[in-house]
Amino acid sequence: MELLTLLIVLLVALGAGLGVQWLAMCHQTMPTYPQRAPFLGGGLPETHAWNRYHVRYYPMTLLLIAFEMEMMFMYPWAVVYVEQGMKAVMEMGMFLAILSVGIVYGWREGVFKWQ
Amino acid sequence: MAVSWLSRLAARARVPVFPALGMHGDTILHRLALTPGIELVDSPRHASILLVAGGVPPDLHEALRRLHDQLPAPFATLWYRSAPLSELAGDLRVDDPEALPEALKRLHRELMSGRRDSSPRLLPDEPPNPWEGLGDDGHGGEGMMGGVPYGRPMAMNMHDDIRDGLTLDSLTVTLGPFLPVLPPGLGAKVTLQGDLVQSWVTQLAPYPIALENVFHEALQRPVPIAELELARARHHLQRLAFSLRLSGLEHLALVALRLSRGLNVESRVGRLHRWLTRCGFFRLTAAGRGRLEAGQARRVGGIAARAAGLEEDLRSRDAAYRRLGFTPIVQRGGDTNARWRQTLAEIDHSLQLACRAEQEDLYSEMTEAVETPRGPWDDYRPEDASDILEDLLPGLEWDEALTTIASLDLAGVSEWPLEPLSETSLKDDEERQA
Repeated sequence: MELLTLLIVLLVALGAGLGVQWLAMCHQTMPTYPQRAPFLGGGLPETHAWNRYHVRYYPMTLLLIAFEMEMMFMYPWAVVYVEQGMKAVMEMGMFLAILSVGIVYGWREGVFKWQ
Repeated sequence: MAVSWLSRLAARARVPVFPALGMHGDTILHRLALTPGIELVDSPRHASILLVAGGVPPDLHEALRRLHDQLPAPFATLWYRSAPLSELAGDLRVDDPEALPEALKRLHRELMSGRRDSSPRLLPDEPPNPWEGLGDDGHGGEGMMGGVPYGRPMAMNMHDDIRDGLTLDSLTVTLGPFLPVLPPGLGAKVTLQGDLVQSWVTQLAPYPIALENVFHEALQRPVPIAELELARARHHLQRLAFSLRLSGLEHLALVALRLSRGLNVESRVGRLHRWLTRCGFFRLTAAGRGRLEAGQARRVGGIAARAAGLEEDLRSRDAAYRRLGFTPIVQRGGDTNARWRQTLAEIDHSLQLACRAEQEDLYSEMTEAVETPRGPWDDYRPEDASDILEDLLPGLEWDEALTTIASLDLAGVSEWPLEPLSETSLKDDEERQA
């Protein structure tokens, strides 16, 4: 019974959400092509917008993931270590070695340099 | 019901205005920024009203049409001291600066309540670059680079990266002449690699700036030094306000504008200087960036020259200034940071000179030349120097490039003086503000 009520609530919420969007879509027409062009103060782009560019914060993200993953797995590992002993240490060592390659790469890219 | 309630609510909101500046249009902008109920927005996408302030030269009409069509409907266009485009001949035109805020508010109310139709679109609703690629998925299909989907080439790495050797696709765009982050009228073709300016080609010089009438009069007859110095300080404060707005320090920009509006010989900038230091403005204006060589600095003249260590100031040749004990202030750096320190120091210096000159009732004595806020005006007016950006900006990151441009006063001086705003209207605005 509770599941059915929950389902009905979900369906009503979904229906209402879609309904609101549908109503708005009925009233709005697609903006014109000139309106959709990027705003450059009256100027025009010369090249296509599909381009590859350097995400400069990329090494910082790499570093965050390296340390984050390390910590994320080390908490459950600390529990398992009590049961498994040396085997868990070896496994964790391998995992950390892989992650540290990322850290070493980040180091080489100058991520630890304060700018 | 709900829609009409929302419309009424929207009509009562602040009027989002996007200013497209023509010749001498920035004067009214300083005033609108301080008018309650008007919000100057930085993108046409946020605006309901396009305000074309000042005459737009015919060669920029095509860019103006593109800009006009970028406002989301419903929107309206108001022309302030500017002739409407031929397609919009029936649009509202206002020439009186005092009537402008009310005209903007009325236009917005009418637009939001549905009593006025949205401005018509001027450009055809067609893709600017129609599909020319081959294949189903848009890659074009010919050769490694895949043709020219949508009529424009794919961005490609045509230049070596000048920062860290990581060569990536460079993106070339034509910016301006109505981009609010650039001086009015400035247009450039910019190639960017990520956020790095790879190349900058100035295509349109900024509009000549109009100086206050006192600088023009100083070339005809002796004028009160206090008046001359207050006009100079006002010009620099308005430039500072532009840069503060660019740096996201909107509140301080309004402080600088208010100060410039009510400027008198008693005014001081000490408090503004302290606020700028505390909020990190001088750190934002990247030290060591945008450094001018001696030749470039001499060409730009004025503050830029003195910030680069050149002791060039026509005031030191005027006997009346010498009696006031005038010696030019100079900095050594020549970079963006030094230029702003120089600007603040010169505003302070001007106010002190104005105070002393008023006490002694001193008039300028040299009429063959005058030091304008833009630089020395002797036989020739200060000329446009925006082409130095081509050497100065490559290698800078985008934010550094923008702060560098804002710190430089590059536009030439117009042969026509600025029209003064009436004192009564200024007081009215102040009272409303209070």
